[in-house]
Amino acid sequence: MRCSSDPAQRSELRVLKCETQSRCVGCGISPFDSLETQSKSVSTSSTFEVKAKDLSDSSYASDNGSSFKKKSHIAKKSGQRSEINALGDKSESLEDTNYSKKVEKSDSAVSGDKYKLKELSHHSTIPTKEKYLQDKDVSKDDAEPLDWNFDFKKYKFSLAKIFFSDKYFSKITERGNQEHEDFWAFVSRYQDFQRRKLQRSKFNPPFDSSTEKGTNLKLNLPQKYDVQYKINISFLCKEFDTFLKKNRLVDHQLEKELTRDRVFQFRTILIHFLDFQQKQKFQKLHKIRHDQRNLPIYQYRQEIVDTLKQHQVVVVAGDTGCGKSTQVPQYLMEAGYEKIACTQPRRIACISLSKRVGYETLNEYGSQVAYQVRFEKSKTAATKVLFLTEGLLLRQMTTDPLLEMYSVIVIDEVHERHIFTDFLLGVLKCVLMQRKDLKLVLMSATINIGLFSGYFNDAPVIKVPGRLYPIELEYCPITRDDTSDSRRLDPTPYLRIMQKIDHKYPATERGDLLIFLSGMSEIMSVVEAAKAYAQQMKRWIVLPLHSALSVEEQDKVFDIAPEGIRKCIVSTNIAETSVTIDGVRFIVDSGKVKEMSFDPKYKMQRLQEFWISRASSEQRKGRAGRTGPGVCYRLYDETDYNDFQDYSTPELQRVPLDSLILQMISMGLPDARKFPFIEPPSMSSLENSIQFLKEQGALASDESLTPIGQMLSMLPVDVVIGKMLIMGSIFNMIDPILSITAAMSVQSPFTNRAYTDSEAMTARKPLESDHGDPFTLLNAFDEWIQVKTQGQGTRKWSKRRGLEEQRFYEMTKLKRQFGDLLRDHHLLDGGEPTQRYLSSEQRRAQHGERKRLAQLRRDKMRERKRRKVLTLEDEEYKISDEEGDGKEGDIKDLEFRLSNDLSQLQETSNKSRSFTLRDVNLVKIILCSGLYPQVSIADDCNTYKRDSEQAFHTKNKPFLLLHPTSTFAANPDVLMPKDAGGKRPAPSDLRGLMSSKHELLAYVSLLETNNKPYLVNTMRVPALQTITLFSNCIDTNSDCTRLLCDGWLELKFPDPETAEKVVTSVLTLRSTWYALLKVRLQDTFQGIEEERRVSPRAKQLERLLASKLTEFLTSEFLYALRRVLPAEAQRAYVGPGKAGGGAVMQEMLTKGDKSAKEHSVKGGIQVTDYFTYNCLLDEASAEIWGQYTQGMHRHWICPGCGVAMVVSVLERLQHQAACSGDGGEGLKAHEAAEEEKEKEKQLNPHRKPYHCPECEETFSLTTTEILKHRKSHAVGTSGTTSNDVQRNT
Amino acid sequence: MSKRFTCTSCDFVVDYHFKGRQPPFAKCIMLLEDCYIMKDPFSTSGGFVTVGGSCSLCSKDVCLSADCSLFYTQRFCLTCAHRNQQEFPKQIQEEILHRAKLRD
Repeated sequence: MRCSSDPAQRSELRVLKCETQSRCVGCGISPFDSLETQSKSVSTSSTFEVKAKDLSDSSYASDNGSSFKKKSHIAKKSGQRSEINALGDKSESLEDTNYSKKVEKSDSAVSGDKYKLKELSHHSTIPTKEKYLQDKDVSKDDAEPLDWNFDFKKYKFSLAKIFFSDKYFSKITERGNQEHEDFWAFVSRYQDFQRRKLQRSKFNPPFDSSTEKGTNLKLNLPQKYDVQYKINISFLCKEFDTFLKKNRLVDHQLEKELTRDRVFQFRTILIHFLDFQQKQKFQKLHKIRHDQRNLPIYQYRQEIVDTLKQHQVVVVAGDTGCGKSTQVPQYLMEAGYEKIACTQPRRIACISLSKRVGYETLNEYGSQVAYQVRFEKSKTAATKVLFLTEGLLLRQMTTDPLLEMYSVIVIDEVHERHIFTDFLLGVLKCVLMQRKDLKLVLMSATINIGLFSGYFNDAPVIKVPGRLYPIELEYCPITRDDTSDSRRLDPTPYLRIMQKIDHKYPATERGDLLIFLSGMSEIMSVVEAAKAYAQQMKRWIVLPLHSALSVEEQDKVFDIAPEGIRKCIVSTNIAETSVTIDGVRFIVDSGKVKEMSFDPKYKMQRLQEFWISRASSEQRKGRAGRTGPGVCYRLYDETDYNDFQDYSTPELQRVPLDSLILQMISMGLPDARKFPFIEPPSMSSLENSIQFLKEQGALASDESLTPIGQMLSMLPVDVVIGKMLIMGSIFNMIDPILSITAAMSVQSPFTNRAYTDSEAMTARKPLESDHGDPFTLLNAFDEWIQVKTQGQGTRKWSKRRGLEEQRFYEMTKLKRQFGDLLRDHHLLDGGEPTQRYLSSEQRRAQHGERKRLAQLRRDKMRERKRRKVLTLEDEEYKISDEEGDGKEGDIKDLEFRLSNDLSQLQETSNKSRSFTLRDVNLVKIILCSGLYPQVSIADDCNTYKRDSEQAFHTKNKPFLLLHPTSTFAANPDVLMPKDAGGKRPAPSDLRGLMSSKHELLAYVSLLETNNKPYLVNTMRVPALQTITLFSNCIDTNSDCTRLLCDGWLELKFPDPETAEKVVTSVLTLRSTWYALLKVRLQDTFQGIEEERRVSPRAKQLERLLASKLTEFLTSEFLYALRRVLPAEAQRAYVGPGKAGGGAVMQEMLTKGDKSAKEHSVKGGIQVTDYFTYNCLLDEASAEIWGQYTQGMHRHWICPGCGVAMVVSVLERLQHQAACSGDGGEGLKAHEAAEEEKEKEKQLNPHRKPYHCPECEETFSLTTTEILKHRKSHAVGTSGTTSNDVQRNT
Repeated sequence: MSKRFTCTSCDFVVDYHFKGRQPPFAKCIMLLEDCYIMKDPFSTSGGFVTVGGSCSLCSKDVCLSADCSLFYTQRFCLTCAHRNQQEFPKQIQEEILHRAKLRD
């Protein structure tokens, strides 16, 4: 026999203690220890218990009465009938006695019936002596004991008919239910046990204690022991009664093997099962309470509650394992607080804590304890404790500034100092002043407590000790060997410690080793050396641990090493807080950490190696003492330790503050510079972020929110991602954008094996897009869905390509969430996708999948309890082709299939696959709307050969390289300038090259590692369109043939005509775009009616914009592109008041155009907020010509409003800006036309778009109208314009 | 409505829903003593947990834990059981002694 090794269950079993021989192989405990039965009583164990009390229930009484009637009839003792019938009204004990007497009599009369009916005395509250005598009587005429070899499982159906008709037993009867399996397992175990018992009793007849006792016992307990006396539970069952009466059931034919004895035997088992089940549940309950009482924090329970009553703010400081996160919310709830918010820095912690606390407060299935994170919540009106993320609580403050929905706020893990933690602390400090009734509990590790207490006017601190075993500390500083290569980490000191452990501690003493290193390459070199050592010694299993490993590989560190072998886990600081590994006894601390720092000047992330802080050094040490005493080796000097920083740098001082500032402003905190941060970030970081937001168009020049800024502040995503989503929804390109943004928001699916394994690289080749990394990600995601739909093993597919499948599941989830988010804010049309109608077969299949999922989850739960044992070969990570998708994969796969409509997903992924170049360009532009100004221009000297590095320049940072993970790093030739004769052009050829195909490289982030700056996640984009559409300032010369964009990229057009076309398009596009955003925002705020989420006006504008944009994107203007260096840019402007043609300009200004202003720095005329006309100094030769053109007036018909006028270039530009802007005539005209078309479409559903090849216009016509139209051309009446046709029809 | 059950022997405290023999939320179940019963907090589909009862001698409330009470045709708190050891059959006597030893 083997039982679960789960300690909880084991202890449950242990309660039922007694000695027996049947023991679990695993834990040595028998589940039936309690079922100590005498062999003799086997027959008595088939007992029929009927509560006398029930007989007083009239219906039941009559029922039973008749049953007895029948029985006595069979027994031919009809004389007692009336007596039995009268039972109902008698007193309990009397009834009892009578009842059992009668039955007994009748039964014994039916000779040959082995069935002994016995009423157990304990059924009544006051047992009578008489009954025990009867008891004895019964046992005296013992018959042959019944064997336990009957296979009840064969008769499941009949037994269910007899016993399980009540819905209380529905779980036992339901196939696939856990209880069903538990029950049948119990039945067979019980029978096994009884069989053995019987066997034993044959050899040693049990002694009978009943005879020993005298009669002077006052309690009248049965002296003949029977395990059934220990059971306090029974059940009532009509069918069983029927069976008793008639020996059969009313509506079911029982098998003849199922004799009366067997049915009674089964009944005994069932009663034992019910008892066992109750004990199990009670133990579970008892254990919860017991564990709670044993947590270190339990001693401080009253102190915490009392202190909070007296003070507004309390700091609870306790180390890992003291139980603060789970217990404090419960203490508050018990103290009567009702609206408790507990913040967590991580989403996953919210969910798991809410589950844990719900379980501990016995609210597992209620909603008193709930969670709410970015996209999910379980909160209801009954919720008393809510776990939520810090970010979410902040977001709630936009609608509830004083957080009046809460009475207590608990902030957990304050010491981690996440950006939102710090922000929240600042905001709450203000809120507390206005809400004296609000309570605040700060929970922290015992780090830097003074800072938090001091920040809240010396709030009281309650210190709770953690649960740690003593740890021996040893400093083993590395003596530097000058000859060794300083770039590569020397693994010798680490090996030396492994040797030391081998030498000093016998292999029989368990305990693993955890090595903390700074980064991946360091891990590699130590792992390599350690593996060599391990192979020689056969005493170690070496496992790396870092975030770039696949989930499976990471999971290995939790597996158990076999006897006599230790795990050696080589990890980054991921094992410091995020991953907790039990059983670690030895720590080696390198004292180093690689941390991402942020350079606000270039908006560049920098991965640098630092000494750790004293706090994290202590944290690392503490990891050795979780399960027993440990040892920590520090590979630095004690003096080094003393020189360490006290605490790690808070996140606020390391990351861009864009989102934070945006949120502050939307919450009504207009000036971030004056915010009372607990430790303020640097001023320059604040200023840079404000500048960035202005560049992104989220903040106006007065630092108020622009429409897009407002929209962004509502979306809980990064500014860049938010912009892409908004634009994607506007241009009806949302699906690929959702996929790409989701892919950008999760960790890359490419594992580090993806770049080292040549097989994986070849297999991945088809996924790579020469448009850039975002498209490669999109391809990979789409292909994954394709493989999934085809029902193939996606896990193997992913593995082969060096991809981590987990990321794709995350992407799917995030993609859906982004979609929901946009719908919530009325940015996406259509609510939930309409209900799919499934055929019965599909439904059945789905039902089957659901059941399988439940089964797999259960299996996994069990598996999780029993960790796998590693083997020495486990170090190698192999991919075998035979290996199918494991259980984990299956669960994920089924979850995915059930929550997603695969066919729909496939459809959309197909859509992305059949992208036209135009679509690709549109996607690029949408992505750029978020990324800009993150673009770079290629260096003229690039070779575009694979083995050399290609350099790129951004506005602020020259000479950036392609990151080795980029698609372009492997295929740099696709970046080669086009229109340059096919081969690699010489730098001189590139100068001033006129082409319509110039490209820029847009990037998602900059990263510096090993002192090399890299562009990460790059994509090639059309230069002209990207620059002109997104630049924050476009400066022109007098005829617009030269544009300087954002002060560093210069565009030159060959002639004024091209220039005019480009500028016209840009102005119209940008103002339409802006107008549309404003409309959309109004819609969002007004929360327009449910059915029509996007207003018709917005729709019109969208169509208009989309068509114009496509036109602009496909246009092939020739131009030259050049990077202008800052020194040159400074001297490029005319400057205020010194415009070349001063007189002309003066004239124009006085002409009365109000919007025309001179730019205060650059000179020239500011046409719109981004467009400054004629502020560029023309190159000397063109200067005179420039003055001439500037003042020249020409006949011009505005394409927007159709008004003919005589204008200069400037006047024309001004007119266009006004005309196509919001409320402008041109825009109105376009809209009117659109509306007209729309109306016509609605009028006649038979109309379809028809493109006439002769007049080159697209109409919406019915078939007859098309014929008419064609005829009009055939007749050749040139006078009929297309408009007339339309009107005629 | 739930009331609070407190074990007088250990500090086990829990809210219960019903006291008696036939819980209204599990009609077919019949208990052989008056029990403190709560709806099963570990399940969504009904069920119940018996958490405690009253000692048939001293009528103190005791939980079902082996450290606190014993059932042998009636509920006894461990103190009463210990005091009246001789009243029980041999097997139970051994068990009482064993439990008492574990508890101390």
